[in-house]
Amino acid sequence: MSLLDKHKKLERNSLLLLGMTVVVILIGGIVEIVPLFRMETIIEPVEGMRPYTPLELAGQNIYMRENCSVCHSQQIRPLRDEVVRYGHYSLAAESMYDHPFLWGSKRTGPDLARLGGKYSDAWHVAHMIEPRDLVPESVMPSYSFLMRNGAKLHNIDKHLKALRVVGVPYSDDMIANARIDANIQAIGDDVADTDGLAKRYGDKVNARDFDGQPNLVSEMDALIAYLQALGTFVDFESVKDVEGGAQ
Amino acid sequence: MTNDNNENKDSKSNKDIDEFTGIETTGHDWDGIKELNNPAPRWWLWVFYVCVIWSVWYWVIYPAWPILSGNTKGTSGYTQFKELAASQSEIVARQQVYLDRFENGSLNEIMNDPELYAFAMAGGKSMFKDNCATCHGTGASGSEGYPNLNDDDWLWGGRISDIQQTISYGIRADNDDTRISQMPAFGKEGYLKSEEIEAVVDYVLSLSGSDITSTNEHGKTIFAQQCSACHGENAKGLQEFGAPNLTDKIWLYGGDREDIFNTVYNSRAGMMPAWKDRLDENTIKQLSIYLHQLGGGE
Amino acid sequence: MTQDIKLFEAQERIYPKRVWGKYRKLKWLAMIVTLGIYYLTPFLRWNRGPNAPDQAVFIDLSNAKAYWFWIEIWPQEVYIITGILILSAIALFFVTSLFGRVWCGYFCPQTVWTDLFVWVERIIQGDRNARKKLREGKWSFDKLKKLAITHFIWLVIGWCTAGSFVLYFNDAPTLVRSFFEFDVSPTVMWFIVGLTFSTYIMAGFAREQVCTYMCPYARFQSAMFDADTLIIGYDEHRGEKRGKHKKGTSWEGRGACVDCKLCVQVCPMGIDIREGLQMECIACGLCVDACNNIMDKVGQPRGLIRYDTVNRMEAEKHGKSEKFRFLQPRTIYYSSTLIAVGLVMLVSLIKRTVLELHVLHDRNPLFVQLSSGEIRNGYIIKILNKTHEHRTYTLAMDGLENAHIMVKSAGQIASDNLYVMADSIGMYHVFVSAEVDPANPRDIVFTLKDNDSNLQDTYDASFISKRGK
Repeated sequence: MSLLDKHKKLERNSLLLLGMTVVVILIGGIVEIVPLFRMETIIEPVEGMRPYTPLELAGQNIYMRENCSVCHSQQIRPLRDEVVRYGHYSLAAESMYDHPFLWGSKRTGPDLARLGGKYSDAWHVAHMIEPRDLVPESVMPSYSFLMRNGAKLHNIDKHLKALRVVGVPYSDDMIANARIDANIQAIGDDVADTDGLAKRYGDKVNARDFDGQPNLVSEMDALIAYLQALGTFVDFESVKDVEGGAQ
Repeated sequence: MTNDNNENKDSKSNKDIDEFTGIETTGHDWDGIKELNNPAPRWWLWVFYVCVIWSVWYWVIYPAWPILSGNTKGTSGYTQFKELAASQSEIVARQQVYLDRFENGSLNEIMNDPELYAFAMAGGKSMFKDNCATCHGTGASGSEGYPNLNDDDWLWGGRISDIQQTISYGIRADNDDTRISQMPAFGKEGYLKSEEIEAVVDYVLSLSGSDITSTNEHGKTIFAQQCSACHGENAKGLQEFGAPNLTDKIWLYGGDREDIFNTVYNSRAGMMPAWKDRLDENTIKQLSIYLHQLGGGE
Repeated sequence: MTQDIKLFEAQERIYPKRVWGKYRKLKWLAMIVTLGIYYLTPFLRWNRGPNAPDQAVFIDLSNAKAYWFWIEIWPQEVYIITGILILSAIALFFVTSLFGRVWCGYFCPQTVWTDLFVWVERIIQGDRNARKKLREGKWSFDKLKKLAITHFIWLVIGWCTAGSFVLYFNDAPTLVRSFFEFDVSPTVMWFIVGLTFSTYIMAGFAREQVCTYMCPYARFQSAMFDADTLIIGYDEHRGEKRGKHKKGTSWEGRGACVDCKLCVQVCPMGIDIREGLQMECIACGLCVDACNNIMDKVGQPRGLIRYDTVNRMEAEKHGKSEKFRFLQPRTIYYSSTLIAVGLVMLVSLIKRTVLELHVLHDRNPLFVQLSSGEIRNGYIIKILNKTHEHRTYTLAMDGLENAHIMVKSAGQIASDNLYVMADSIGMYHVFVSAEVDPANPRDIVFTLKDNDSNLQDTYDASFISKRGK
């Protein structure tokens, strides 16, 4: 009883109450957050994850600038309906190079976590220019201006450098060649020599003229390069032990 | 807010006792309104204790606490992934009744069995919305460059087996067995001069019964030389090349003089992905039946 | 200055005393009739042919149908149930405004089951005083035995009540048999357990508390009362001053009430009617019986407590007599509403057909242009076959020249051979194509004919050939 009586003291002394509240929150914070400092305990080992190419990164910057994550999520939850609709549920490893992560919290439009390769470049271009031409019930704004604006690539190497600081494994080689890689990816392997790009980022990298404007590396190129890469990195053969297997 | 100079204060115990009920107040005073410090109801306290006990049970049974090597797993071995697998297998089991028959049944058998037919139509409808509707529209009515799948005009054939082949391997897709053909860009690549294209366009327009009725011998000759190999001598199209019928009322890329001129000048080559690796055999079968039954199936 | 304020009203146990008389007899009769209907109805059979259930009153949840003798209700006919509820509500208002709370006193399940439980209690434990003594007395083997038997019988009644409820939703004989074979689904089991305990608690413990605190109808029925409503009334003018009366002494200068308190002891609501009409009173009339018996004994006329209207009692006080006014504006109002709603229900029941056609125009795409230049519209048609036989139908369409109908479904089906199973809905995708000029929607009419009888139904639809207006 004596212990129970003490809580009255706590209730009647605001500073003491504040102090004890902070202590309680600290305990909760330490218990929940500190173990996560050891990332390897929460990120499953998968094969195939790579950092974004400079062009994809420029696309991701546009994705952030236009705040696509307000209407589109990038997280497929391990629920039956979502797995059936969007594909394999998202893995922690798949967003480990996202800074910030773009999971989103609301789906006005569909989830985009596995958009890569689902539709053609031409479809994306037409859809960005006027979504209602293809999906009459869509409420998505038109992003036709992306066709006109050149992608912001002059300082893309600095973005890579900054991301390296927070742990994305960009090599010196990648940073040095960032601007060249970005342009070559948007020109495509029909015309340009993409061996360097493939060497640095793997030969699965899409290198082509995404927006159909060969004379311009537009923001559309960058964004579609990013969208076509979403969710395509992980080799799911390597995560069979955690795989649910979609049906 | 607190009023320390309260008149009702019990001088000995420093307690503020309410005059009417004899119950201690919290000591707070809002313009003379005070709050009784009644103890919480007994039942509430018990609910609280039960919740505390329940949480301890929860920590033991379910994954709960983060620890340095990951987290406590809990004795029940619960994970969301297992739950997903269970719910998937539950659905598969529920569908299994139909799936076995569906998988082994020929398209003809399925089309004549009301249960399997309903199963195919329901599955096809939802898979169409997920995968195909982005290009062909939710009603499969297409748009310029993306064919309307409701009508009776088929580039590559409208029998169920044709549709199944197209869905599986795509058109001009990244697949070895894809349906492929290439119309030359007659103008761009210099096979025909502009006025020759004009003539052939006139001829084609007259075939589909538009206002141009003049017999266009020049256009007809060019058509016979350049176009009839794929579109057929009567211009009714050849499905083995995906060459459209030019005598009907349906134009994938527009039926104006200008549209047709552009088509002949630049050529057209629509692309459809191969779905074989994305969708399983049953889904493709369901989609084929669904599309065939949209009204135009042959 | 500590003052004991009761923040919660504790339940005071009521031990209704046994009573004989006219109203008690009515109450027994009402109980036997209502409980008989409730417990036995599920076992009534009604022949509907081989393709439909033969239970007379049956709510088939899995097939979404309800059967009541010759009437069969499909989900879209729930308005019939709505109509029955409206009729019941108006009937309740009507009866209440004239005769007071007769529903509460005689027919309400809460009253009936409480009455039954009290009867069990009395059989096992004895009448009022014995029950009171037993309850307040020390624990003994005898007390334990009597209480145990009482509660056991209560639970058995509760179990039967719950079981009967479930029987309305299942084929009764089959379910009863499966009970003896211990093969009952968990859903049925949970319903029975839940309802058993609600019966046990409501009729065994909560009793009058339900009427006083929980029931909204009890409260708003008082709104239908006026001075011409029959209520249980104590004739204060005749009864006061009350007091004990010795046999043979004069009745001069005193009232007829001998203050025997029997009216209080028999009351299932635990009130004293002599304090006037109270909110708790359910108008069961047991106090009338009790008082009449005493009046007979002391040689006074009956009716010191009686069913009467406030107006008539007032008039009698002044030596006048007044008739019970049956015709009042509200009786006319209530009865005409009752008749009107009843007629609407009757008409809708008579007009109800066993064949219905519904047509839904495809929304996406609205229309399709075919290679021949024809325009095609798609429709989902639903055929409701409410007969108990499998039937085939012929679909025809009017309003468009040179139009042809095509049906898409499992197998090749012609539009003159649309098959629908007994008691079910058939759904077909129907295409109508015609060579038309693009124009505003044209009105067309679908006609569906039964191939085996002259039943038919039509549905107005439209044919669209142009986007927008």
